[in-house]
Amino acid sequence: MKDIIKLGLILLLVTSVASAALSVINNITKPRIEEQKRLVTERALLAALPLANKNAIEPVYIADTLRYFIGYKDTLRKDIVGYAFVAKEQGYSSKIETMVGVDTIGTIIGIKVMQQVETPGLGTKIEEIKYGETTPWFQDQFIGKKGTGLAVDKDKGEITSVTGATISSRAVTNSINNGIQKLEKQIGSFKKSNEETQE
Amino acid sequence: MSITKEFFKGFYKENPVFRLALGLCPTLAVSNSVQNAIGMGLAATFVLLCSNVIISLIRSGVPKKIRIPIYIVVIATFVTIVDLVMAGFAPALHKALGIFVPLIVVNCIILGRAEAFAGKNSVFYSFIDGLGMGIGFTLALTLISIVRELFGDGKLWAIPIFGPSFEPVLLLILPPGAFLTLGLFLGFFNWIETKRSA
Repeated sequence: MKDIIKLGLILLLVTSVASAALSVINNITKPRIEEQKRLVTERALLAALPLANKNAIEPVYIADTLRYFIGYKDTLRKDIVGYAFVAKEQGYSSKIETMVGVDTIGTIIGIKVMQQVETPGLGTKIEEIKYGETTPWFQDQFIGKKGTGLAVDKDKGEITSVTGATISSRAVTNSINNGIQKLEKQIGSFKKSNEETQE
Repeated sequence: MSITKEFFKGFYKENPVFRLALGLCPTLAVSNSVQNAIGMGLAATFVLLCSNVIISLIRSGVPKKIRIPIYIVVIATFVTIVDLVMAGFAPALHKALGIFVPLIVVNCIILGRAEAFAGKNSVFYSFIDGLGMGIGFTLALTLISIVRELFGDGKLWAIPIFGPSFEPVLLLILPPGAFLTLGLFLGFFNWIETKRSA
């Protein structure tokens, strides 16, 4: 019995020292980690809404949850250039998170994969930038397309999937489809055509 | 005990991966690109070095009955430090290594060195042992990853090596490629050893 108490106290001492050390490290790194997360979102927003003023992108909360972002042309915040949202879907080995930007009639104007841990050399090629190019070819395919009924080539769609990574490609494509549907419900509906904006 | 012997044994003679066949899980999982391999190798080396030093420091006060839980607490603490620091200062690497950073806790090289070396030897030699073994692990990972990334993806350190006409052997960066490459290396080093002793 005495032995158990002694051993227990030693373990308690060791774990206390360990947790004290960890709380110090956590306090030091916490602001940096949050800053990194914010930077990822910020960069993705700029890629998704290329025409928006970077100081005029506003998050929209419904029931205390972040649903989407509205991008304005300038800081007057009158002319909406588009909406952006985070599309999520389980890929092959990770949840793929993609920032997607659409204009007011629902055409995709920019996308950026923010988070994925897919198979290196296969699924990770959804972010591949080919030699001599500056933007990832897989994501570029979405730009200019209406965000409804998108599908990869294996599903008889028009999106060319990454070789050997149909699951990752399909996850991105489907998450965008679903996300745009959700967004449309949240904002009411997209405008029918561009002319309406000019009236 | 000679310093050079303790330091260099991890490179070849007692290489954790090729000679002792320890820590194979992270070896198989993150050797798909050179960047991942070196990142994982350095993270594991840091943890190994720190845990070896601390365990050697406290070895006289650690009761035999609970030495394993104490070692694990020490190792887990350093792994968490690596995880947090990496997330804050090297987010790209942290993203690429993913779950394998926290899993350094159960990398048997680290607990193995604590049990076999740091728990019995002085702080100085434990430091040398940790550093040597860590570098040995990093070298092994790097060697495997060079083969896998070069032939499986046509790149080295994410830079394309062959022209656009090169058709990479996809299998090599997939899990079977990890087993094949590791197996060939293990066979190669065993072959050298039998040649030597013959």
